[in-house]
Amino acid sequence: MTIDWFALVVVALATLVSALVVVGSYGLGVRLLAVAADAAGPRQPLVRSTAYLCFGVCAAAVLYGIYLIVPAFH
Amino acid sequence: MLNLISAFLSTEVAKTISGGLIREGEGGIQIDPAMIFAGLIGAVVWNVTTWLLGLPSSSSHALFGGLIGAAIVGGGFAVINYGVVVSKVLLPAVLAPLIAGTVAYLGTKLAYRITTRKGQVASPKRGGFRYGQIFSSSLVALAHGTNDAQTTMGVITLVLVAGGFQTAGSGPEFWVVAACGLAIAIGTYSGGWRIMRTMGRGLTEVKPAPGFAAESSTASAILASSHLGFALSTTQVASGSAVGSGLGRKGAQVRWSTARRIAVAWLLTLPAAALVGALAAFVAHLGIAGIIIDTVAGALIILVMFLVSRRNQVGHHNAISELDHAGEIVKIKSKKKKKKPQQVGVAE
Repeated sequence: MTIDWFALVVVALATLVSALVVVGSYGLGVRLLAVAADAAGPRQPLVRSTAYLCFGVCAAAVLYGIYLIVPAFH
Repeated sequence: MLNLISAFLSTEVAKTISGGLIREGEGGIQIDPAMIFAGLIGAVVWNVTTWLLGLPSSSSHALFGGLIGAAIVGGGFAVINYGVVVSKVLLPAVLAPLIAGTVAYLGTKLAYRITTRKGQVASPKRGGFRYGQIFSSSLVALAHGTNDAQTTMGVITLVLVAGGFQTAGSGPEFWVVAACGLAIAIGTYSGGWRIMRTMGRGLTEVKPAPGFAAESSTASAILASSHLGFALSTTQVASGSAVGSGLGRKGAQVRWSTARRIAVAWLLTLPAAALVGALAAFVAHLGIAGIIIDTVAGALIILVMFLVSRRNQVGHHNAISELDHAGEIVKIKSKKKKKKPQQVGVAE
């Protein structure tokens, strides 16, 4: 009986990293939007675009994850 | 829609079921359709039983249990590929909810840590997570398709192999993949939407930020597992995440008695379904008459349970949803707890 412990570790790490990247970047985006709403003056557009950049990172992470699991793309 | 697409994405889980679980050919047994039939009866009977008792259980595990039980009766204990069973079904069943729960816990902590703004009057505006949830729940639907549709594909392929239409150990055919994806998608639209709603709601009505964290970790855990051919239960992983994200909030407590009840039901599913499957296989091997007996007995049991459930009024309107169970595990101390669910779009 052989148990593939390595596969389990891979699943655990992949889950951890991907979920934290998605949640982290999205959370940062949410926060920066909130900051942008309060901030006045010239900093506002900068903060806001950084927030959208964060959402972009989040979306890219999700798409990359899907790309990784679909054999048709390789 | 996503369910349909996801069925095409990967076939690793289907291969686990059709190729890995039961040893075929040399040193194994010839699987015949009667055996698979018996396995399915075992799975269905156990599923209806747990549904009647209001116990949360995994239909995928019931399916494996039924098939394993039937195969053991057909060819003895040696025909089961225990390595595959343990490393692709049992261990993931225990670990995946734990992993998803831990990650959801960390994710919730992270989401709160990032969005908490110190001092001042500034509001954290966590309502933004609500829009994120639209995407994260779509991801859960996608993940659901990659795992559960494949379970169906695996069984159909197994039947084809058993019937001699396909060589042993080969992957599912294209039309099987298409049919399963379509079936799951149709099922989701026609009645399965209720399950999806429970899965979504069980998490989202908590709060947007932990809900988003929980759904992200559910989706990534299931997708990662599907990729490696682990056949796990979507519900179990989602429950694990729900508990984890609940714990990530301040002042949360675990109701261990509820947790224990759910865990027992999960653990019982596989052996119990195996038992019923074994019994059905034993009868089915008597020949045509045995198969007829099986069908009639299975139908009778389901009919009786249906009637009993009607009498007890355990209809869909008050059926105990599996995630509600999971939600019960975590008791959150909060002043706002008893308030009605917030309206969509209102920022906290």
